Amino acid sequence: MELRVIDKTDEELRIEIGGEDHTFMNVLKGELLQTDTVTAATYDVNPEQSGGQTDPVLSIKTESGVDPLDALAEAARGVQRTADDFTDAYRAGIDA
Amino acid sequence: MVNDFQVEFIEREDRRARFVARGLTPALANGIRRAMVADVPTFSIDTVRFVENTSVMFDEMIGLRLGLVPLTTPLDDFEPGDTVTVALEVDGPATAYSGDIESADDMVVPADENIPIIELKEGQRLEFEADAVLGYGKDHAKNQGGVAVGYRHLQRVEVVGDAGEFDEQEPNILRGVIEEAAAEHAEGDAEDGDLVATETFGNDLTERYPGKEVEVHDVPEAFVFSVETDGSFDVDELVTRAVASLGDRAAELEEKVAL
Repeated sequence: MELRVIDKTDEELRIEIGGEDHTFMNVLKGELLQTDTVTAATYDVNPEQSGGQTDPVLSIKTESGVDPLDALAEAARGVQRTADDFTDAYRAGIDA
Repeated sequence: MVNDFQVEFIEREDRRARFVARGLTPALANGIRRAMVADVPTFSIDTVRFVENTSVMFDEMIGLRLGLVPLTTPLDDFEPGDTVTVALEVDGPATAYSGDIESADDMVVPADENIPIIELKEGQRLEFEADAVLGYGKDHAKNQGGVAVGYRHLQRVEVVGDAGEFDEQEPNILRGVIEEAAAEHAEGDAEDGDLVATETFGNDLTERYPGKEVEVHDVPEAFVFSVETDGSFDVDELVTRAVASLGDRAAELEEKVAL
């Protein structure tokens, strides 16, 4: 996973996440959209004029005072929690 | 965000399972499905060194068929990219089966013994040595551990009234799993909230609720996963590894963002 920041302001971030595809990006986007301080989040694997599929470019907008990189880190933690919780639920389902 | 997941099995065998998972977003459900297909590695024969092939098929055709033979994959003991050497030697007249493949490692052996590779006639012979590589389904379909992985919404069936008294009732076909919401109208023993596979009533709602008019609704955030593996590992391994792969990537992202 290679990260490359394309654009960064106080409330906006565009970052390329190398080597990932819809599998992870859509889960991450879903997690970002459920974060209250994130006002907009999306990703694109085929941006205009790119001439085909590229590494996904993630765009995040946050409320003022919230660093989008922090929001991204928080969402990454959220996905880990989600994965752990689901594994626990699955194991509980086996034992039930 | 607090997660409240619930998993309930409808059928559970080594290689196939059906379970209802609640509390998921569609994004997560699809992420898990995609990870099961593409991101859980399995062993598969990748390079073949033919010593003798006097069968009626070209080396390349045999090579393709060998790649498709599922090999058991203990993921705790191997890293992606690891190789295991296997070999086969069969003299005709006989059929070379996957079970004839000898492996250098007892943990990595054909998951099924009765997959025909080629039928050999009198005087024909097949002998080769091959490397099985632990690779990802993302790179080649032969490395997919999940062969039939999918999900659909859990559906809730409600009785909204009686069918017209003199109407000929037409079959009302529904496939999947339903959550009972009209137990008092159902045939046989039933309780509200039961999970019922539609096969049990011939996939026909008029069999279960005769003479009733029903409405079918999707249950939000509830997905019926149907998972089948190729025998490389069991379903539990596939599901937990797929979910873990999502978590691992999130951990890597968190680490790199912090830098």
